[in-house]
Amino acid sequence: MDILDHINEWALKAPNRLCYIHRDHQLTYGELKGESDTIAQWMIEKFGTDRSPIIVHGHMDPMMPVLFLACVKSGHAYIPVDESVPSERVSMIAQSSQSKLVFSSTPDSLPLLKAEIIDVHELEVKLQNSVYPHFDNRYAVQDEETFYIIYTSGSTGKPKGVQIPRRALTSFTTWMLDDFQLEEGLTFMNQAPYSFDLSVMDLYPALISGGTLWAIDQEMIARPKELFASLAQSGINVWTSTPSFAEMCLMEPSFSSRLLPNLRTLLFCGETLPVSVAKRLKERFPNADIINTYGPTETTVAVTSIKITQDMIDSGNPFPVGRCKPDCTIAILDQDGLPVPEGDKGEIVICGPSVGQGYLGELEKTKASFNTVHRMPAYHTRDVGSLIDGVLYYFGRMDHQIKLHGFRMELEEIEHVLTACHYVKQAIVIPIKSGDRYDHLVAVVVPDEHPFESTFKLSSALRQELARVLPSYMIPRKFTYRSSLPMTANGKVDRSVPLKEVIQ
Amino acid sequence: MIEITQEFTDKVFSILADVCDSEEIKANPNMKLFDEGLLDSFGTISLVVEFEQQLNISVPISDFNRDDWATPMMIVQQLAKRK
Repeated sequence: MDILDHINEWALKAPNRLCYIHRDHQLTYGELKGESDTIAQWMIEKFGTDRSPIIVHGHMDPMMPVLFLACVKSGHAYIPVDESVPSERVSMIAQSSQSKLVFSSTPDSLPLLKAEIIDVHELEVKLQNSVYPHFDNRYAVQDEETFYIIYTSGSTGKPKGVQIPRRALTSFTTWMLDDFQLEEGLTFMNQAPYSFDLSVMDLYPALISGGTLWAIDQEMIARPKELFASLAQSGINVWTSTPSFAEMCLMEPSFSSRLLPNLRTLLFCGETLPVSVAKRLKERFPNADIINTYGPTETTVAVTSIKITQDMIDSGNPFPVGRCKPDCTIAILDQDGLPVPEGDKGEIVICGPSVGQGYLGELEKTKASFNTVHRMPAYHTRDVGSLIDGVLYYFGRMDHQIKLHGFRMELEEIEHVLTACHYVKQAIVIPIKSGDRYDHLVAVVVPDEHPFESTFKLSSALRQELARVLPSYMIPRKFTYRSSLPMTANGKVDRSVPLKEVIQ
Repeated sequence: MIEITQEFTDKVFSILADVCDSEEIKANPNMKLFDEGLLDSFGTISLVVEFEQQLNISVPISDFNRDDWATPMMIVQQLAKRK
């Protein structure tokens, strides 16, 4: 399957069909092709043979999918960056990716950026009434070239860019369309910001199958009344979100098949799907399929899936994450890299065409996690799992990476940034659980001298300083202060001791 | 609408302090919880659950918006209206 050809074909078959709806803004398949071709043509003239990645900055704007396609059609990988990413972090991403161009719907929010910025709204004005060029796809990103780069938290204190080649995205979308019964013309909810690859789970399957994306933005989520009003109008057939987002929606009594009568598939990824959430969803949407999936960003959104049945819910046992997609394999390896006996726990290793190219400009980090197994690209996830009869179970992490409400983060990155803040001598960050899931973060800080009369003011100052670099979901909710932190014998902070104190 | 007693206020503040994991709330009734980073979309879920369980006041999540429920004191008033 050729992703770009399939999307382009809808411009011929159904040029006036809507492919994207966000509030009052709509986009047709004809416009998607025409505008992306026009911008791609301009980029080819501007950059020639230079195929460096391009940043697309914004939030749910219909121009974002247009720009994603324009980038790949002109041979550039795109880096989606959400508006909620702090400006200093955007600069770090621009520097690390050596992007020469940034498309932004809010260019004033990026004062520190050194790269050229193009205001998306000015671009829109220029595109109005323009004659779309004849365009051929021979400049496009090729199978083994990078299609998109998603920046994720890095343990050394800087975000790292996960590169996904076109071949991997093709493999993923083919699997979605073949195995998830997604036929032509469905409406997909698009809720995850484009910085998260969960958004890829609805974006490309929708565009390739001639579907319509219904975008839900952060303003709506912050004002749930607007969120449910938008959902009521949406007519969505396919729901994609983290379990946490669905759980929030379940707090609204009207969230049921009466609000979303056409909903037939709920897809979950990004974190463990709790049995209690699936149970309540099944009660509210008795006719919809609930599908649990698993996969790290490094291997293109998801590589396993399983339909959650009523029997699985009734058993009360934690759900498996499913079977591997047919063109990939999963191995469970022990500490020495050898396969464990069936059913034993070990590291989940994913092999096959879903595996990406590693981290942009980070050879060491890439080598540590990516290699070749049986001549197939392989990614060592650091996730603990077991396989029983070909069904994968997930048990957590081997390191300090966590998922908090579906957001992936390295605790060491937060600690790194926090320790670099004013008034901080030493700090560690501890995730606190509610039930069996992480609920929020607590920072344990050894403060330096500071001018504040209360620790509350100090916490407030630290939060502000962290917010310059870290997205809001990585900022600890609580700060506690100590005169020292316990050390282990080899001179590292002993994480287990403050954990006990904080929990008391 | 009920009269806002000290007991009711204390109870709400104590729920807030628990959910936000911050005793500072009790001394700062006009603190902007969302702006200070003490509350987010996921925190509000826990809050709504606790209001229902401990106060027997049910607040549909669609009624909860950050402008009218911004501070501990505003939250007390919103809850009193619904009791």
